[in-house]
Amino acid sequence: MRRSSNRKSSSASAAAGSGSTKAASKEFEKIDHLFNVYADKSSAIIDPEGIEQLCSSLEVDYTDVRILMLAWKMKAQKQGFFTLEEWRTGLKALRADSMSKLKKALPELVKEVSRPTDFLDFYSYAFRYCLTEDKQKCIDIESACQLLSLVLGTQFGPQVDKFTEYLKSQSEYKVMNMDQWMGFYRFCNEIPFPSLENYDSDLAWPLILDNFVEWFRENQK
Amino acid sequence: MNSQSQSQSQSQRRKNFKIEAFKHKVELDPKYAERTWKVLEHAIHEIYNNNASRLSFEELYRSAYNMVLHKYGDKLYSGLVATMTAHLNKIAKSVESAQGGLFLEKLNHKWADHNKALQMIRDILMYMDRSYVPTSHKTPVHELGLNLWRDHIIHSPNIQARLQDTLLDLVQRERTGDVINRGLMRNITKMLMDLGSSVYQDDFEKPFLDVSASFYSGESQQFIECCDCGSYLKKAERRLNEEMERVSHYLDAKTEVKITSAVEREMIANHMQRLVHMDNSGLVNMLIDDKYDDLSRMYSLFKRVPEGLSTIRDVMTSYLRERGRVLVTDTERLKDPVEFVQCLLNEKDKHDKIISTAFNNDKTFQNALNSSFEYFINLNNRSPEFISLYLDDKLRKGLKGASEEEVEVVLDKVMMLFRYLQEKDVFEKYYKQHLAKRLLSGKTVSDDAERSMIVKLKTECGYQFTSKLEGMFTDMKTSEDTMLDFYAKQSAELGDGPTLAVQILTTGSWPTQLTAACNLPPEILTVCEKFRTYYLGTHSGRRLTWQTNMGTADIKATFGKGHKHELNVSTYQMCVLMLFNSADGLTYREIEQATEIPALDLKRCLQSLACVKGKNVLRKEPMSKDISEEDVFYFNDKFTSKFVKVKIGTVVAQKESEPEKQETRQRVEEDRKPQIEAAIVRIMKSRRVLDHNSIVAEVTKQLQSRFLPNPVVIKKRIESLIEREFLERDKADRKLYRYLA
Repeated sequence: MRRSSNRKSSSASAAAGSGSTKAASKEFEKIDHLFNVYADKSSAIIDPEGIEQLCSSLEVDYTDVRILMLAWKMKAQKQGFFTLEEWRTGLKALRADSMSKLKKALPELVKEVSRPTDFLDFYSYAFRYCLTEDKQKCIDIESACQLLSLVLGTQFGPQVDKFTEYLKSQSEYKVMNMDQWMGFYRFCNEIPFPSLENYDSDLAWPLILDNFVEWFRENQK
Repeated sequence: MNSQSQSQSQSQRRKNFKIEAFKHKVELDPKYAERTWKVLEHAIHEIYNNNASRLSFEELYRSAYNMVLHKYGDKLYSGLVATMTAHLNKIAKSVESAQGGLFLEKLNHKWADHNKALQMIRDILMYMDRSYVPTSHKTPVHELGLNLWRDHIIHSPNIQARLQDTLLDLVQRERTGDVINRGLMRNITKMLMDLGSSVYQDDFEKPFLDVSASFYSGESQQFIECCDCGSYLKKAERRLNEEMERVSHYLDAKTEVKITSAVEREMIANHMQRLVHMDNSGLVNMLIDDKYDDLSRMYSLFKRVPEGLSTIRDVMTSYLRERGRVLVTDTERLKDPVEFVQCLLNEKDKHDKIISTAFNNDKTFQNALNSSFEYFINLNNRSPEFISLYLDDKLRKGLKGASEEEVEVVLDKVMMLFRYLQEKDVFEKYYKQHLAKRLLSGKTVSDDAERSMIVKLKTECGYQFTSKLEGMFTDMKTSEDTMLDFYAKQSAELGDGPTLAVQILTTGSWPTQLTAACNLPPEILTVCEKFRTYYLGTHSGRRLTWQTNMGTADIKATFGKGHKHELNVSTYQMCVLMLFNSADGLTYREIEQATEIPALDLKRCLQSLACVKGKNVLRKEPMSKDISEEDVFYFNDKFTSKFVKVKIGTVVAQKESEPEKQETRQRVEEDRKPQIEAAIVRIMKSRRVLDHNSIVAEVTKQLQSRFLPNPVVIKKRIESLIEREFLERDKADRKLYRYLA
């Protein structure tokens, strides 16, 4: 297919185009090689189609959270795209330079992310990653719900379920911003669920959470 | 014997000059003492028997002197004691034997005698008093005389109780209406005081107070069962005055405060609640019926007891709050805003008068009145609108013919109500709307009154409150000048066209109205365009938008039989009427289509043209009261009016309909958002870091002169500011916010 036929011809130019020294490219040779398997010939970037292919190679679903974790490790800027720099960053950190090594590195990555300090960073990264436009500060509620399930679903399942249920049922908020996003994580960590006993709406919780708590308490009755 | 040696020593030693006493003893005849004493004893007897005139003071004095001198002071003193005691015992028996009313008189009489005797005895024994008495620590003669009197007369078993009973009985009789011998009483009580204040207190005052307390306790109980509040208070006041008078006539002055507090306690303090809450005659009834005397009496009586005034104040406050609450939620009354406000003003006047006449202008009562008004006026969220409508009515016609002072009085009273409003920004919005209508329709009673009101609002709320209002006045003046210039320059071109008067309103100063422009009749359009060209010629860069919902027109109309009238109508009405120049009858829809006036306004407009008696220049089929979209309208040939000029305009300020009210409130809420944000930013800029509750409190305080912000809205604004990166949450303590420079 188109990509594979381009592979051989573009690899050299891609390596040269990145502007690294000969020694460096030697270090990244295998990694770059792997990059070019999935990268688009003309843009020299892995685009969504390439990522899809990568996923099938890794034997994970396109929507799996591990792809997001991979993006985080790469510090990828734009959702759906990996640049060569990013690819190098990620794979070097994972100490993987082949598909099999990359596959093996994934479970380790998952464990790393679940450490509290790393998770906080990952969590806020996940939000920023979804901001596709320049100067965009919010993501729409629908996407936010999906992202919450993806990122917090295993750790705080009940809260996420109820919160997304609330978000879908209300019409006041059409988007969510970073402050609210981070607030929810704090909420999951600090407030016992479903009792919500020490929640005080007079404190500095984001208003969206005040409304959620009120809705939740109303529905309990 | 020593003189020789003395003179010798004198010549030898001139410096030390000594005189030595006799070295031999001068012995008095022992019988001398006894004899001398007998003289004195006899003298005392005579004094007590009122035979003192035959005695020689000088001789007696000398005798006493000698006794003391020769060291017979003891004998003299003890003899004195014995003699006086013997006499006093005799006196005691004499007093005891007195019958009934003569008891006190006898006592008084004997007391006077005793004092006279004592005086004389003291004078005779003065030397003893001054030399022997101090050194041997004995009681001086005068005091001794008093003590002996006290011990042998006053505290004599047969006299003590009888004396107390007699005195108390006299007081009781006087209290029940008898006349007693006050002079005698005064002497007796004075006697007790002279004997020592503890004698007065123990033998008279304490029992007097006890008996009085139970007397008044009984009497007050009796009164309160059968009297109404006003009469009871009159009685209490009377008793209080009586007691004070009693003290001034025959009791010691220090008793006054004790007896008055006993009366106050028994008659007032113990019955305060019952009095204040008495059915049909208690405080509330007095307030309702303006019973100034009763109220004044209650105030001065209750002032004397602890918690008295606060009791009155509390009952008054809860009455006012309830009454106010009923007033502002009475749906009947709410139908007429002007009446509603007048009612509130009347209530204020009434209670102001009560406080100044009956409650001595007491500041705490004034404050209670103010807080009550503040409470209930804000229970109805239409109060700001209604107060503005009241002012509108007054400034439009109510104050016509009033003098400058009268105007000031009315405006000041309304300002008092204004001060109570929590949502002053809502008032501002309505006032602006109503003022705009007044200015544009030219219907204001006096420019001075309008300006005076603005000044008052500025004084109360600051420059920003009124700057836009003042802008409106400026626009009116400028428009006048513009029109003069327009006609001066354009008169040739305008010729026979309709005369135009334009008011140019600066957007921002005037209330925002979103108007859909309607279709103006062609004759009007032409002249309007001419004006637009003229204006933009001198003011390039500006944009003019015709506010067709605010204008008026004077139309000359000819009806059947040649009757001519001049109609004063709104712009909308003009558009509708001009259509009938080319058609006799038009359907609602045709009119709507031709004029493009918004439905609600069109219906109101047609209603005023066709359904109002005396102003029905149009005829409607069917003749129903309301406008439906199927109606057909005809020019009413048969219209008559005794006036040549007929006014049909509908540009009067009126109570808003429900949807209009919602819209206004929404706009107010929108306006509040930036004000809240500005307050938050101001606060955070100076404090740098602050917790959530403090921000809410500070913002509320800053904005309280305009409105009461909702804490939820404040939170939302904070979040908006976080999103726009004016603030951030503190990373360590998530209860805090931080200002981002």
